[in-house]
Amino acid sequence: MTSKRFLIAPVAALMVLGLAACGSDSGGSSGSGSSENKEPLKVATEGTYAPFTFHDEKTNELTGYDVEVVEAVAEKLGREVEFSETTWDSIFAGLEAKRYDVIANQVSITDERTAKYSFSQPYTVSSGVIVTRADDTSVTSAADLKGKTSAQSSTSSFGEAATEAGAKVEAVEGFTQAVALLKQKRVDVTINDSLAVLDYQKTSGDQDVKIAGTIGEETQQAFAFRKDSDLPAEFDTALDELRADGTLAEIAEKYFGEDVSGGTTDEETSTPSPSES
Amino acid sequence: MDDSTVELIRDSLGPLLSGMVKGTVPLTAVSFVLGLVVALVVALMRLSPLWPVSAIARFYVSVIRGTPLLVQLFIIFYGLPSLGATIDPWPSACLAFTLNVGGYASEIIRAAIVSVPRGQWEAAQTVGMNHPTALRRIILPQATRVAVPPLSNTLISLVKDTSLASSILVTETFRKAQELAAPTYEFFTLYMVAAAYYWVVCLVLSFAQTRFESRLDRYVAS
Repeated sequence: MTSKRFLIAPVAALMVLGLAACGSDSGGSSGSGSSENKEPLKVATEGTYAPFTFHDEKTNELTGYDVEVVEAVAEKLGREVEFSETTWDSIFAGLEAKRYDVIANQVSITDERTAKYSFSQPYTVSSGVIVTRADDTSVTSAADLKGKTSAQSSTSSFGEAATEAGAKVEAVEGFTQAVALLKQKRVDVTINDSLAVLDYQKTSGDQDVKIAGTIGEETQQAFAFRKDSDLPAEFDTALDELRADGTLAEIAEKYFGEDVSGGTTDEETSTPSPSES
Repeated sequence: MDDSTVELIRDSLGPLLSGMVKGTVPLTAVSFVLGLVVALVVALMRLSPLWPVSAIARFYVSVIRGTPLLVQLFIIFYGLPSLGATIDPWPSACLAFTLNVGGYASEIIRAAIVSVPRGQWEAAQTVGMNHPTALRRIILPQATRVAVPPLSNTLISLVKDTSLASSILVTETFRKAQELAAPTYEFFTLYMVAAAYYWVVCLVLSFAQTRFESRLDRYVAS
């Protein structure tokens, strides 16, 4: 009989966790008036790309800049949020397969992507940086990448940048693995978002890697949708409101200590002109 | 199907074939052959009357069968460097698949050896054969026929399992498909082409298995 009592705690914990997973904290409870007759907003995100989308160490809740922004947007739209956590390389495949309706994962606006997908207005402006081992002095700019090996997600815009600069790309799933390969001397560099790299250095205190230089121009990151989606317009309206009332800046401050959400764009179109990359 | 899709499929056939020929097939062949060697040794250890020897073999089989292949790959590739052993992608994948086949196939071989009637051992002894000779000349040939169907299963599974090596930087068929899908965003098409390639290889192997079995049947007393 006593053995049964030991079961109660874990089972109860599991039930609580299950309940917690049903409603996200900012999405309101399932009974909140306006969202009752609306479908939940299905969002794809990696969940492994701090500080944009990651699991809090203590609570294990999915959180991050992109996660909070999309939650704020959903709140404006009066919809619940349902996250699907997927690896980057299959994130667009899932969007096309209608597994979800929007990607919230620092998707850079590029020409190729604009041809295939719709975008909201940007909610982040950032630039790419080249990361090397701390003791490596051979790379200071994109020009030094010729003949080097770089660890990237094969479908990321940083992967393209690396290829264009003449580096050989080794395909990995995400930044965490890229850093592992770099430290294990299996690759020479990895290129990633300056915000992500700075955050990694800050939180991990890793002294073995450094930012060796910048690459490319400023890029804009936005929410991505299928071409046939009518969500971009709704998102733009919501983002405009969030910008005006200071919510976007507030979320950015929380994660980066500065407003990285970019200036107000007066464009009414759902596909802002991509910056040359 | 519109023209651009047809064109994409046509353009992808070459690169995916090279992924098959340079990646999937050699990875499968090397791992399977080495894996069978490991499996035979482990099977004989399992059948050993010395309990420490059979316990080691039992432990090995338990670990291999009780952990996911993807986790094994990641431990070998991403984990071992922290212990000071940095192995390249290709050897890492070979090592993982060899150990994996070794674990699964050892149980097949052990069962096949046990399935040969006791009387065969006794008959071998009466004509003056010692244990290793009897095993080699009388028991293993008969056990082989029993083991072929389940081992073919292992081989066919291995062909498909090698696609997991794409996650540790090995360029094989599936990775090639992903590389081609990256700039075009035509995931569905390329995954279908990759699937077709795997299927064709497995069809060929199944056919070979049937032929091989009927050849071995000639040596089975009926």
